[in-house]
Formats: sequence, C-alpha cells, structure tokens
Amino acid sequence: MRLLLIEDNARLAALIRDGLQGQGFAVDWCDTLEKVELLRQLVQYDLLLLDLGLPDGNGLSLIRAMRRREDMTPILIITARGELDDRVAGLDAGADDYLCKPFQLRELVSRCRALLRRPGASLGTILSAGNVLFDSAERTLLVSDNPVEATPREIDLLEHLLRRVGHVVPRPMLENALYSMEDEVTPNALEATVSRLRKRLNMAAADVQIRTVHGIGYALFEPR
Amino acid sequence: MMERPAIIHDAAGPTLLQQLTLRLVAFTLVFAILDIGLVVWTYASHPEALGEELLTLEANRFERSTVLTPHELTGPPGARHWSARYIDPKSPDRGRQNSSGSLMDWTQRERLERGVRISGVRRVERNGQPQWLWMEIEIDSLRPYTPVILNELLAHVALPLIPLLGLMLTFNVLAVRRVLQPLHLAEKEIEGLDPEKMTMRLTEPFAPREVNALVNTVNRALQRLEEAMATLRSFTSNAAHELRTPLSILQLSLERLPASDQRSELQLDVSRINRLIDQMLDLSRADALSFDTSGRVDLADIGRTVVSDLTPKAYAANRELRFKAHGPAIARGHAEAIYRIYRNLIDNAFLHAPGESPIEVFAGPGPQIGVQDHGPGLTEADASKIFEQFWRKDRRNNDGAGLGLGIVRRLAEAHRGSVSVKSSDGSGALFTVQFQQGIFFQADGKKLNNPGL
Repeated sequence: MRLLLIEDNARLAALIRDGLQGQGFAVDWCDTLEKVELLRQLVQYDLLLLDLGLPDGNGLSLIRAMRRREDMTPILIITARGELDDRVAGLDAGADDYLCKPFQLRELVSRCRALLRRPGASLGTILSAGNVLFDSAERTLLVSDNPVEATPREIDLLEHLLRRVGHVVPRPMLENALYSMEDEVTPNALEATVSRLRKRLNMAAADVQIRTVHGIGYALFEPR
Repeated sequence: MMERPAIIHDAAGPTLLQQLTLRLVAFTLVFAILDIGLVVWTYASHPEALGEELLTLEANRFERSTVLTPHELTGPPGARHWSARYIDPKSPDRGRQNSSGSLMDWTQRERLERGVRISGVRRVERNGQPQWLWMEIEIDSLRPYTPVILNELLAHVALPLIPLLGLMLTFNVLAVRRVLQPLHLAEKEIEGLDPEKMTMRLTEPFAPREVNALVNTVNRALQRLEEAMATLRSFTSNAAHELRTPLSILQLSLERLPASDQRSELQLDVSRINRLIDQMLDLSRADALSFDTSGRVDLADIGRTVVSDLTPKAYAANRELRFKAHGPAIARGHAEAIYRIYRNLIDNAFLHAPGESPIEVFAGPGPQIGVQDHGPGLTEADASKIFEQFWRKDRRNNDGAGLGLGIVRRLAEAHRGSVSVKSSDGSGALFTVQFQQGIFFQADGKKLNNPGL
C-alpha cells in the first residue's frame, strides 16, 4: 500500500509517516500542493492523506481538481478544522473521510484500512479486529486462527459491525441489511441474533466486544 | 446575556438642566436687585418727587381709612412733626390756583436747620364729598419715605417684572430641556448596547449639532469596538485551530513512548487540552452568534449522532451512554450548535457522575433535550452557579475549565431557548434545554408538522 501524506508541519508529518510505516504502509511525504502534482505523475498512490491548510493553497481545491478528472483515489482529510460545516465542505468536495486533529495513530490506521477496503479500493476483503479475522469473500470466521461456525445472519451482522469497528451501527441499518421484506421482523429478532453472536464469540474466546447502545444500535469494539 | 450593574444617574453632580436653571434664577435675582437700586437712586436724586409722593400716599391712606377727621391721622412713621386738616377751598392763602382759577394739588419742600418740611394740599373723596386736605410733615431721616419707596418698587418693579421674569425662566428651562432631549435618547440607547449585538448604533439627531457630533463620535467608537471584537473572535478561533497541530505532535509522540502510567496520564492531559480547544471554539462561535438558528432540525437525529460519536469514548472509559426519543422533537436551530450543547452536557455528566451508572440522553417530547446522570447531584447553591463561565465546584480539580455549562447556556440563548437543571442531592442531575417550537409550512400553506405535544 503506497500512501501520499500532504502535511506542511515537518514534525507531525514525520510522526505520521513513522507510525504508518510501522503498520506496513509505504508513505511518501510532501508539503505543498505543487509537489503533489509532481509526485502523482511518478507514482500511483492508493490513498492520499491531506492537510487542508497548506502554504500554497487550500487542499479542497486539489480534491475538486482530482474529482473533476474522475480520479477516484481515496482521500482522507486530516485537519485542525473539525466543525460540522468544515466536515461537510470537505466531504462535498469529494473527500472520502475526515479526521480531526489531534488523533490517535490507531484511529488513523483504522480509517486508512477502511478506505483501502472499500469496493474498488486496494485492500482485500479480510476484516479484522482484535483476534477476530473475517474473510468477506469466503464468508469464513477465524478467532485466534481457529475457525468458528456461525449462521449466515450472524456472519452478516458481524461483517457490518467489523466494517465499522469502534463505531455505532444504527439499528435500522442492521435490520434493513439482515432481513428481507418477506422476513417477519419481530422487535427482538435483531437482539436475539446479536446475543447469539456474542455467545459464539465468547465461547471462542474472542477479545472483541459487541456493545448495545440503547436507543441507537450496536458497536463492536477492539480490546481496550 | 451579561449582567450589567445598574447605572447610577445622580452620582456625578447636578444635571445640566439643574445647573442652567440655577444660573437663570441667579441672573433674574441680580437683574431685580439692579432694577431696585435704579429706582432708589432715581428718588434719592429727586427729593422733591419723593416728598410729593409721600403726601399723595398719606392722602390715599386717609381716603381708604375709617377715621372721621384728618386730626386723627398718625402720619408716616418716624416723622418729627405731623399735622393735617381740611381747608376751605375759598380761603386763598391755603390753596393755590391753577391758571383757570380753581384749586389744585400742590407740594412745597423747605429745607430746615435739621431735615426738611414738606407741606401741601391734596384733593380727597370722603363719603362722596370732595374735600381739600392740607398736610405738613417735618422729617429728619429717610424712615418716613420707606412706605413710598416700597410702594414705588411694587408698582414699577415687582408687578411688571415678576411675571415677565417668570415667563422667561419657564421658557428658558423648557428650551433647555428640549435641547437636551437628544442626549436623553442617546443615553437610553447606550444603556441598551449589548456586547453580543455589536452592530447596534445610536440614532443621530438632526440637531443640535453638538449632540449630533457626540453621537457620531460614539458611533465611530462603536464601529472600532465591533472591529476589535471581531478580531478577538477570529483570533480565538485561529489560535484554537493552530493549537491542534502541536497537540497532534504531542499525541503521536506520546504514543511512541513505552506504555506506562505516566504516559496514560499525559495522554489524558492531551485530551483535556483538546477539550478546552473545542470549548474555546464553541465560545467564540457562540459569542459571534455566527449561527443561523432558523433552520428545521430534528433534535432526536442530532442526539443519535452525538451519542454514536461519543460511544467509543464511553467504551474506553467503561461508561454507558443511552439515547431515547420521547416522541417527535422538531425545533428551530443550528445542528452543529445543538450537537455542541449535547456534547457539553454529556461531557459534564462524564465528569461529575463517575461510576458504572449509565448516562441517559433524550430528545422530546416537543422541542427539548435532556441529559440525566446518576451521580451525586447538585446542591441548590451550586445549581445557581453552574452556568457561570469558569465556575468549578472544586477549583483544585483540573478536569475542566468550567466552560462547558456556560457554553451550553450561551448556545441555548443563541437559540432563544433556555437551560435548566433539576437535582436533589444523591439522585443525580437532570439538565434540560428548551428550544423554540419549530412549526414549518408546506408550499400549500398546510402545517408540515406540529411537534409540540
């Protein structure tokens, strides 16, 4: 995976680059929009990490220019301006995700993985969290390298939660994804599925946790 | 809104109106005294006229009195000698004739060794009968003249002058008051100035030019103040944003250190600083009132977003967040600002209600939201202070700057809403924010919704 980091603060850039390299990414770094254009002629990047406030202009203009050329390279904005309006502006311009400073390396890595995993993106279909490993093409589940059996519905549920590790997945979204129109969805159906999946993961000594977020949905967390 | 001390109107001496009135009254008095002096001087330089007046005055007094004969008259006070009697108009030695041969009034003044003698005749009416009264006075002081002078003053100074002066005084006072009116108006407007609405300006009066100039100057000063406030706000906002890059460096550098209690402490500090930066931004935005609060927002949607966003943090802190929508909760407002209100209330609950107990967030029914914790709750005395900025129950506790609830109040006020807290010791605290009813109409004029249950 080759990433391009565009950040004008050299120390921060070095820290991010070191951190990502430690996670197995290859990272190039530049500090102006001008250099981005040069580098992109030489290298095909899988993901751009973009700071918005750059010495020679606003990063949003780069995103717009790329999207106009139908260049769909995933872009993750890393910025100090994290208010709702700024996030909306960034995503509207065509960025794929938005990360507000300061952040933890773990958060950055997981966002990068999620972007690379998207359909058409470079990362394969292996989803992982803690000691749980899931192959979304083969529909197989491994916990500490041991295969675990589960019903297709439980597998679907796990996939949705794994795709949003550490985030709340709203209940209506899960219900829509897991049950077809013909299925009779009782109010407890989803809860029952979740509880069966939890039990199965516990039995297999998985270290991830599925939490109920009352009034909203469910979230899968990696070990603290 | 900030509380202002009441202005004390009479702290700085008398008003301009009082001062002008006082001067006008003093001027009137001086004028009257000058006038009196003039009258006295005129008579002093014409003693004959004074004697004539004295006899006329005595004759008039006799006409009005009830005494039967001139002999009973006492004469003016202080006279050395006084006598009076009727005379026969036919006795030529006592009267003097005018050119037509009939009797007439006359006065004669003779200088004596000591003082003067004044004698003369006056025609008086007694019981409908004309009589001729002969009088003679010897005077060696000014005292007998006093009634004459007083009479003169009354007739020629006081009577015409007092109403005139009174009228002038009234007119002047009214005119001054009227001229001062624009100043009073400006005073009222300045009183109403609000640092949160720096666009306000004073009404410029057409006249007088002096007041117009003053108001103009104040308006220009307000303009400069507004610019300074804007600079301050954008400085706060820029500073807050700029701080985030070094903070990121700190955060990532810390992560490279081997895990230890010290590292965890420092990481906690970083997140505290970050929270402070968030709050500085919230405050600068709330102060600048840079929200459009007229949009239609679903309070429940925003609540779900906030709770979702904060769930990872809650999980990391081993806490539980719950959300519940009590019926439709549509309001007028700005989504980001309401997000901040939720967020600060929840952060506050995290801080003050430690332990395993869940924090319950709710929206509705109607345009309201709430956050309930199950911590120690608040005393009544604390409840009155918690919405003040920088107030902390325990100043030694460095978990927050005491900004959160102040921000909640500012943001609620920016929505023309209100925030309140209900708590009894030991049973946790319930914070509620009430928003404006959001009723919206479809193009055909039908009500789109009426969420106020």
